[in-house]
Amino acid sequence: MLLRMFLVQTKAHFVWYFRRDGEMMFWSLAMPVFFLVLFSFAFMNGNTSRSSAFLVPGIIGAQVLSSGFWGVGVMLATFREKHLLRRVYLTPMPQWVFFASLVVYRVAILAAQAALLVGVGTLVFHVRITGNPAAIVAVLLLGTATFVSLGTIVGAVARTTESANNIASVLTVPLAFLSDAYVPIDRFPHAVAATLRLLPSTQFIDTFRAVTIDGASLAHYGAWLTALVIWALAGIAVSARTFRWT
Amino acid sequence: MADLAAIVVDGLVRRYGDVAAVDGVSFSVANGTIFGLLGRNGAGKTSTLECCIGLGTPDAGSVRVLGLDPTRRRELARLRPRIGVQLQATSLPEKANVREILELYAAYYGIAPRVSEMAARVGLDGKLDRQVAQMSGGERQRLALALALQHEPDVLFLDEPTAGMDAFGRRVLWGEVERLRDAGKAIVLTTHYIEEAERLCDRVCVVQRGRVVAEASPAELIERYGGAATVSIAADGFVPSPELDALGVWAKAAERWTLATRDDPGLALAAVVTRANAESAKIGSLDMHRPTLEDAFIAITGETIGDSE
Repeated sequence: MLLRMFLVQTKAHFVWYFRRDGEMMFWSLAMPVFFLVLFSFAFMNGNTSRSSAFLVPGIIGAQVLSSGFWGVGVMLATFREKHLLRRVYLTPMPQWVFFASLVVYRVAILAAQAALLVGVGTLVFHVRITGNPAAIVAVLLLGTATFVSLGTIVGAVARTTESANNIASVLTVPLAFLSDAYVPIDRFPHAVAATLRLLPSTQFIDTFRAVTIDGASLAHYGAWLTALVIWALAGIAVSARTFRWT
Repeated sequence: MADLAAIVVDGLVRRYGDVAAVDGVSFSVANGTIFGLLGRNGAGKTSTLECCIGLGTPDAGSVRVLGLDPTRRRELARLRPRIGVQLQATSLPEKANVREILELYAAYYGIAPRVSEMAARVGLDGKLDRQVAQMSGGERQRLALALALQHEPDVLFLDEPTAGMDAFGRRVLWGEVERLRDAGKAIVLTTHYIEEAERLCDRVCVVQRGRVVAEASPAELIERYGGAATVSIAADGFVPSPELDALGVWAKAAERWTLATRDDPGLALAAVVTRANAESAKIGSLDMHRPTLEDAFIAITGETIGDSE
């Protein structure tokens, strides 16, 4: 019964908010590829293969951030503002089933985005993915868990869609540029780069890139992975306390 | 009555800041009863209803629905499958169609979807593939009603269910509500439509500024507070006969005689016409007024209900 609830709800999210929303499909599928192509040519003095190797995991990482803050955070605030949440709250569906379906829906979109970026990266720019697939998926899922859980806090504290939008913009846009996603932070002074490496977003994207492109082992990044787990748990704890259905 | 009560609200208080939206409301609703909370907008009806379904936390007092306390998480979880709710501002996902929403809600309640049956009951048959974005306000409300009914709840809560509904929607809703009542279920609805309360409700609870100011059946409220029925006649040469005098109290103002009576005004009217004709008094105008729930409401609250939204 719970499984059916979960499956029907997940499919409903996908059909209502993705498949029937052309704008949403365009922004989530075409834009990352557009950024990849644009920045690949713009950076690294014409060596597109090297820049793409940096950008493919970087853009996937940036999508994970926006997936959490926009995809889950703003979506929850919109649901609340439109009184959809309070209606769902009145049904017997356990709250975790609702959140799980939202997460799985976002993971499915992320998987499509990642596949598209990797596809374009390998076919057009000859990027080589050398990492262990299981390790790549594990880091991606952990990052998603972390930023969905932090995104839920945005959805919990924002009273309106508009304020959720503002918070998400303030978080996502600078973080994407300060977290080694689009621009290598090694170009900043050493002290600045070191500080930025304290951000969970930087730690996630750097780990993901190293595991994907350089074939680094998970053990090597144990400290950062642990930090991500702590961020994820903290996010869950805070949202569980602050989240309002009405 | 106590052991038949589906809902018991006792001394309920709910504050928003310094304002008590609900200020000591008590009532109980028996199974097989349509119970109406009647009052102006802002009287505290919705806040009261929200406390019954776990959407609001009382600041004082208690609520029991089917013996369960909706403020306790575990009891609320046991209550949810047994209640149906239609909220005032129900919004449904714009890109969802009728079939999908009914299927999703069937999954929520762990029941087999009854898509075509429910659609037919609320007049949405043939519109199963229509998306919410393309539906009229009335159609959306009827779909919301179907979602409240599909799992056959033991108690139904409706918040201003017919506000903005067309005549067809009202008929559908009233029919469904009466069907449920006849099946022995309890229904609580809020309304600021007096005709709706009078026509539909078995018991009406008049709410004013967060307090219950009267509670009875519509007939009893009218009987107690509605005042006398009146028959008035303007006819040249008409004078009430002794027999007509016995019907009630006559008063004359500006050539018009008005009878205030506790008896049936229809019979009084016939007697007045008979008398006028017997006297060959030419009837200029004739009027009868039976007291309505609106008269009772005005007498109880000292104000009209107003039609502002």
